[in-house]
Formats: sequence, structure tokens, C-alpha cells
Amino acid sequence: MSNTLILDRTSPLEGGDGGAHSEFLRGLRASLPVLCGFLPFALVLGAQAAQKGIGSFELALMTGLNFGGGSEFAAIKLWTSPPHVLLIVAITLLINSRHLLMGGTLAPFIRHLPRHRAFVALFFMCDESWAMGMADARRRAAAGEEHPFSLPYYMGNAVSLYLVWALFTSLGVMVGPFIGDVRAWGFDMAFPAVFLVLMRGMWKGWRAGFPWFVSLTVAAVAYLFIPGAWYVAAGALSGIVAAWFWVGGEQ
Amino acid sequence: MNMASLLTIVLMALATYMTRVLGYVALRNRTLGPRATMTMEAAPGCVLVAVIAPHFVAGDPAELLALVVTVAAATRLPMLPTVAMGIGAAFLLRHLLV
Repeated sequence: MSNTLILDRTSPLEGGDGGAHSEFLRGLRASLPVLCGFLPFALVLGAQAAQKGIGSFELALMTGLNFGGGSEFAAIKLWTSPPHVLLIVAITLLINSRHLLMGGTLAPFIRHLPRHRAFVALFFMCDESWAMGMADARRRAAAGEEHPFSLPYYMGNAVSLYLVWALFTSLGVMVGPFIGDVRAWGFDMAFPAVFLVLMRGMWKGWRAGFPWFVSLTVAAVAYLFIPGAWYVAAGALSGIVAAWFWVGGEQ
Repeated sequence: MNMASLLTIVLMALATYMTRVLGYVALRNRTLGPRATMTMEAAPGCVLVAVIAPHFVAGDPAELLALVVTVAAATRLPMLPTVAMGIGAAFLLRHLLV
């Protein structure tokens, strides 16, 4: 009996230490700096949608079901009445193709979860929630945790980002036209700031970082010379191919 | 809301959700070899840096200087101060260097 209780307390779903509740709160707290970037751009997306005649409910439906900022900005830019369904879906696929890779890197950390939980967790996976969940899992793995991925931490972070995004994009349809250019206030720098801090957490020296520079270079060149949204896929894939050969060369 | 808009939104959402689950579905029952594992360890950084690559080739000096400040902050400060310094630097430099 007491054995069962002890086993229950260290259940992987509880996050192992401090319980699910405090892990959820830890995730919520971690989302706060990221919201500095999310909130103003949610309002901007709303303002742009309003200019295309898209209503609050319609945009909330899009951002609540799709939850992918990059693809939503592209969809609004391409939006006509009626919209070109296939064009918008194709661009969405292209912009969000990086999720394939992200889900793949997350797989070893969440394969112990029941499948339905994994499918719910993946619905909320965006660049930030994925990178922060991975960074946290690697830290905990280094500290010797058997199941390093903390689902409640990840969900606290991801659900907070999701709710703010869905709420403030639809709010932006109404108030967006009054806030002006958020780039002039510098808010767009929040995204590289968040990403760079996350990358510092993953940094293992210049040798291991070589594929990142390949990715950056290819993405930048593709961004400058190839119209459309190919640069993320081009950069990330080149980086990974470079990593494959780089790692092989070391052995 | 008309049917074409609703259809576009639903198909967008399905396409995006598919990209989110397929990587997991493909790899959940596989054990990667050491070389593939080491390659996958480089993947997160490759994705993140590709997403922000346009900032590195921004045309005007205010953007690049703001990025330099942000990179410098990111190498030594926690998340919130880095975000604050990035936003502050972008705001100031864009207004000072126009």
C-alpha cells in the first residue's frame, strides 16, 4: 500500500518534483517575458484583419484553431473575399513545415505519455513553447531525472501563450486600428531576444554550433533572394544536413 | 461569416495540426542511432536561428545595431532583461539613427 503511494508520487505525469500544480505555475511564469512579444503582435494581427474586413469571431476562430502566428500573418496578407483556399493552405503548410522537425525532436521526450495526452500537448506546440519545453527537459535530464520532460510545465507555458494569442488577436480587430505601428516601439525585437536566450541554453561551443551558422547563412540568403516563405525550411534543413555530416566527420 | 472563409480557416487549422503531430507520429516508436541523435540535438537551434534570420540581414544600421545589443544581452542575461533590452535598443536606435 505504502509502496503504491510512493510510486504514485514519482509518477512522470506529475513532473516528479513539487507536483503538477507548481510545475504548471512554473510554466506560466516562464511565459511572461515571451508575452512581451506576443501581445503587441496579436493586436497588430487583429488590426490587419480588420482592414481586410475580417470580424473578431472569425479571427478568433483562425487563431484559436490554427495557433501559428507566422502562417496567420501570411493568411491575412493574402486574404481576399472570398479567400483563395488552396493558396492560403499551401502557404500555411510551407510556413509551418518546421513543426515536423520540432515534433520529431520532441518525440523521444514525450513517447512515454499516453497518446491522447501527446496529441493535446502537440496542439499547443509553437516555437516558444517547444523550445522552452525542450530546454527545460534537457536541464532536467542533466540533473538525472528519469522522465525529464515536465508536461505540466510545458502546458502552463503553452496554454498561457495560446490564450493570450487567441484573446488579443480578436481584441486587436476592435482596438488595433488605434495602436499604430508597434515596430516603431521596438516590440518586434522581443522575438529574436527570446530565441537567442533559448539558443544560449542549448549552446555547446563553437564546434557543436557550426550547423546553426549554416542554417543562419542559408536562411538569410534564401530570405534575400527567394520570394515567399521558403527561408525557414531552407535554413533549418541545410543546418540539419550539415549537422549530419559534421557529426559523421567527428567520429 | 461565409462558407469560403470558414473552409479556409478549418483547412488551415488541419494543415497546421498535421505538421504538429506528424514528426511525433513518425518517431515515437523509433530509437535513433547515435549519429541521428547527435544530429537531432542540433535541430532546435537550426530551426530557431532560421526563423530570426531576416533580422540578421536587415538593411539599415539601426536594426543591425539593435540586434548586436540583443545578442550581447542574450549571452549573459536572463530572459526578461534580454527582452527588455532588445525592445529598448530597437526603440531608441530607430528614433536616434533616422
